[in-house]
Amino acid sequence: MSRAIRRLHVVLNYFCIIAIIVFFAIGKIHGWSSSILIVIGLIAAVGLISFITLYIKSKVWKLVHAKIDKLDEREVQLTHESLRLSYSIFTVVSLLVLLIFAVTAKEYDSLIMIIFIGLLYLAHTLPAAIIVWKQKEF
Amino acid sequence: MKNQKLYNRITVLREENNFSRKELAKEIGVNFQTVGYLEREEYNPSLGLAFRISKIFKLPIEMIFSTEPMKPLSQEVLKYRKKMGE
Repeated sequence: MSRAIRRLHVVLNYFCIIAIIVFFAIGKIHGWSSSILIVIGLIAAVGLISFITLYIKSKVWKLVHAKIDKLDEREVQLTHESLRLSYSIFTVVSLLVLLIFAVTAKEYDSLIMIIFIGLLYLAHTLPAAIIVWKQKEF
Repeated sequence: MKNQKLYNRITVLREENNFSRKELAKEIGVNFQTVGYLEREEYNPSLGLAFRISKIFKLPIEMIFSTEPMKPLSQEVLKYRKKMGE
C-alpha cells in the first residue's frame, strides 16, 4: 500500500470516528430513528474495514503494541517518535475538547476550568517529571 | 536535532559475503526490514549495531560507514594499507 493510500485510510478512519460522534449527538438531541442507527452502523463498518486494512493487515498494530525487548533499535526509535508525536496530539485534542465543554456549559463551572488548568500543567510537566524522577544525575 | 546522513557499503559487503538480508539481519540481531533501511541509508545505526556489522564483515567501522559518499572499496583498502604501513 503506497503512503498516499495509507494516509487516505488514516483520514477516513478518523473521519468515521468523528462522524459516529456527530450522528450519536444528533440521535441524542433529536431522538433515535432507524435511519440514524443504520448510518452509524454503516460508518462503523467502514471504520472497522479501514482499521483492519490499515493497522492489522500491515502488522503496524503489532509493532506499536510489542514489548520493547521484542523490537530492534530502528523499531524502538520509530515507535518512540510515534509515541512522542501521539502524546502531543492527544494532549491538544483532549484539552481542546475539555475546554469546549467548559466554555459551552449551560452554567459556568469553575471546577472544570480548574481541572483544565491542572491537566494543562500536567501535560506540559509530565515528560520533565519522568526524567527528573528516573535519572540518577541531571 | 537533525541526524547527520551516514553513507555505507552494507549492500556490497552483504552480496560479497553471500548473505541474504534475512541472514545478515539474524547475524546482527535486527529485523530484516532494518537491513533494507540500512542499505538504503535511511537509518543510521547505533554504535553497538555498527560494531556488530563491522565484526560480521571483519572490516573496520570507517571502511563500512562514512559521513561522506563512499569511494570504491579498492581505493579504501589501498589507503588503509598505506596507513598501516603495509
